[in-house]
Parts: sequence; C-alpha cells; structure tokens
Amino acid sequence: MTESIAAAQDSSRCEDEASLVAAARDGDREAFGRLYARFSRMVHGILLARVPRHVADDLAQDAFLKAIVNLHALRDLGSFGPWLAAIARSQAQQYHRSARAEDPLVSETAAPGSALAEALEALAVIRALPEAYRETLVLRLLEGMTGPEIAERTGLTPGSVRVNLHRGMKLLREKLKGTRLEET
Amino acid sequence: MKKPDDYLWDGSGPTDPQVRRLETALGILRSKRPVPDATAAVAPGRRVRLPWLAPALAAAALVVLLASGAFLARHRIGMALSGWRVEAIEGASRVGSEPLEQGASTRLAPGRPVQTADGARARLVAGWIGRVDVEPRTTLELLQAGSGSHRLALRRGTIHARISAPPRFFSVETPLAVAVDMGCAYSLHVDDEGAAVLTVTAGWVSLQWRGRESFVPTGARCRTWAGAGPGAPAFSDADPGFLESLDRFDDPSREPASGAADLGRVLEKARARDALTLWHLLARIDTVAATDRARVHDRLAGFVAPPAGVTREGVLAGDRRMLESWWEALGLGSADWWRRWRHSIPEPR
Repeated sequence: MTESIAAAQDSSRCEDEASLVAAARDGDREAFGRLYARFSRMVHGILLARVPRHVADDLAQDAFLKAIVNLHALRDLGSFGPWLAAIARSQAQQYHRSARAEDPLVSETAAPGSALAEALEALAVIRALPEAYRETLVLRLLEGMTGPEIAERTGLTPGSVRVNLHRGMKLLREKLKGTRLEET
Repeated sequence: MKKPDDYLWDGSGPTDPQVRRLETALGILRSKRPVPDATAAVAPGRRVRLPWLAPALAAAALVVLLASGAFLARHRIGMALSGWRVEAIEGASRVGSEPLEQGASTRLAPGRPVQTADGARARLVAGWIGRVDVEPRTTLELLQAGSGSHRLALRRGTIHARISAPPRFFSVETPLAVAVDMGCAYSLHVDDEGAAVLTVTAGWVSLQWRGRESFVPTGARCRTWAGAGPGAPAFSDADPGFLESLDRFDDPSREPASGAADLGRVLEKARARDALTLWHLLARIDTVAATDRARVHDRLAGFVAPPAGVTREGVLAGDRRMLESWWEALGLGSADWWRRWRHSIPEPR
C-alpha cells in the first residue's frame, strides 16, 4: 500500500467519522448507533483495565451518554475517539474517588476450572501490569481490536501501541509462567 | 517485512499460540451490552440538556433500570419534570403512616412507602418519566427523585410500568436482579422471598446481576433466583412442559441429578422460537455443565444453523464473538435493534 493511498484512506475515514459525529450531534439515531458500534469495545476495554467488571458495563454506557450530551463542546470532530477515550478514563478515576472504590477489582467468583475462572485469572494478571501496557493488552486480547485499530481509535501513535503491546506481552508471558495460561 | 510479533500486532503472520489462547480465554468477558437508546426525534432550535446519569447501583441489589425511545429528545427535561404523585385508583392505600382514600392523590417523597391493601390499586405518575400501576398487596417506596436519578424499591407485590424516561433515569430495585430497560412496558412481581418474575409487554429488558445478563424481549418472561440472579428468558407462549422444566433446570437449589432429565424435557419441548432460551443456556458457561451445553448447542443448531465462522468447539469453549454472531442469526434483533424499534408503547390493559 502506498503512502498516498493510505493517507487517502485515513482522510476518508476521518471525514466519515467527523460526519457521523456531526450527525449524532444533531440527533441522528443511526449515526449514534454507528459511533457506538465503532467505539464500544474501546470504551469497555479502557474501563475494564481499571475498574471491577460489574461496573465496567455501566460506566461504559455513562461514558457514551456523557459524550453524546457534550458533543457540542467537541471542536475537532475527527478527534471523537481520543476524546471519548479520555472520558472513559475520567469515569474510571471518578469511580476510584467514590466510596464504591472499596470494591475489589475482581469481585466475582467462578467455578474452578471453568472458562470464566480462566478468563478472570488472565484479566487479574493483566490488571497488575503497568498502566500503559494494561489498557493496550485489554483492548487487543480481550476486546479483539488490532494494533492499528487501537491506534486509530485512541489517538495513540501506531508506534506507541506496538511498543506497548510488545513490552506488555513480554511481561505478561513472564507473569503467566507456572499458571494454566503459560506458554506451552 | 514481517516481524515476529505481527500476530500480536494485527493478527497477521503465524499464529502466536499463547496470544491466541489469551484471546479465546479473555474474549468471554467482552461486553454484549446493547446500544443505549440515545436519540429521538429532533425538535429544531433546542439544545440537549440532560443531567449526569447516576452510575450503576450496588451489585447486591437487583435493579430494574428503565429507558425509553425518547432519550435525548430535544426538550428541557427540567421544565417537563413535575415530581411524583400517587393516586389511590381503587380501594384505600397507605402512604407512609397516612391513609389515602380512593380517588385521592398526594405528592410522593422518598421515605414514605406506598402500600396497597387487598383489592386496592394505586398509580404513581411522574410527568415525562411515565407511570407505574400498583397491584393489591404491594409495597414499594420512592428511594430517590432527583434531576439525574429516580428510583423505586419494590419490596413485594406487583407493578406494571409504562416508562418513557431516558435510559437509567428511572430504576426499580428488587432484592435479586438489575433489569436494564431499553424502552418498554413490563410487569414485575416480587414474592415474599425476594424472587422476581419479569414479563415484558413492549420493547426489551436486560436483566443483570453480578455479571450475568439475560435479554428479555416482548412476549417473554424471566425469573430471578436467589444466589444466581436472572434465569434464562422464555417466551410466555412456549409449551407449558418446556417452561416448567426450564424453571426446574434453572433453579440453583434443585437436585444436581435431576438436571439432565429437566434439560432433556426442555430440549424435547423446544420450538424454533425458543431459540431465545436455548441461546441463553448456551451462554451460561459458568453455571451450565459442558455436557449440557453440548446438548443445547446441538438442539439450537437444529433450529438456527450457526453462521459462518461459528464452530461447535468455539461456542462450547465460550467464544464470545461466536456467541454474539449466533445471536444475530436468531433474528431477534442485533445489538443495534433499538434503531429499528419504531412502535409506540401500547396502552396497558
């Protein structure tokens, strides 16, 4: 892919996103749904890297609703993703400042050996990693976003995302040694 | 030039086994929450003004959260809000310690429970939020009434709600589940032990408790169970044997040995329309045994073929993407169902 084609695609995507944001700001239900479809994994993943699972869904909804209510304040419509990501992180910070922050990060239990138990165990290990790696790994491994998607949606540079993924995964492999999720 | 971590970067190149394993394991934690119903017809010339929505309620209580297709309607919410009033429709009720005679009404404030006696009915109304009809022998209380959150607690009895409020502006707390309403009318009954039965008459309700979630559409009902939260939803017109066996299978206090037989009757009596129920049983990877889920899978596949990319192994391993893809194929409405819901809420009977 040549740089000119990539740039044209990026430009087209940004315009499309800016158009969606403008339409959603004007109350277009379809546009809001498309924005939600595009960014819900990002928001949920950012929150799940920071708050207990049982509140992540609700805070994700709050983040979207806060975004839609304050869309009129967003000047660069092409920066909706990074702006929304900042709202999600702010939601997590507010949660931790509240009384409910005493809730343990992992508050639910699962049957030993079950798929859920394995998932919670992996998430707990990821949450113990440095913050820069934690969020990127959750977005990649849990939410299923690719590195380029993470960069595009969050506003991080592809280089930063790739470094975070690489270093984060390296740490994660070390932490998982001796567990069921150890590399075989 | 290919790099060793290409699979981690964008899924290309040779599969990294540990990364793939983590994707499969963690994928079941992905949210499948539907789109919040966040738009409505636009009235030109006015700006949206909505209060900050209250965060989620404590997981220890089950809460019915109500939403409507009128969310983000461009009108000033504050002007339309007139507070809660309770009216005694039939017979006498009590509001706090004071009687409310038939035909009388009064403002309702937090801390004053509403109790209907045998044969008595009442109605709670709050401007743009909607109304709640209260059946006999019911106790409920207004917990909170502010610009950002209105919450009732249904202690026991039966209510019928017809709500047009924005998502999560209005909620009903019951002892055992959170139901998130995406714009609907429904009936909710709580018994003396705190267990609830939700019946949806319009729209959808998502019933949630500690990470477990059931999606309940129009014409379906869902029970909640102590220690387990919401069961699998089922259409009310299903075979009675199907419904009875489902309740026995879902009941966490049942004898483990009876589960196989109960599930067998569920599968035997299931119709194509009951794919709703079967999908939920299949998604309960933490509480339904693998062998049972395999039986459910095969029965569901007989009604609705798994779409391309959905494998038996993946579904039984709890692959969330595959489960979501199969949900879309059921034809009950995709994750963006609310975009196509155009119908108004029917009048209660």
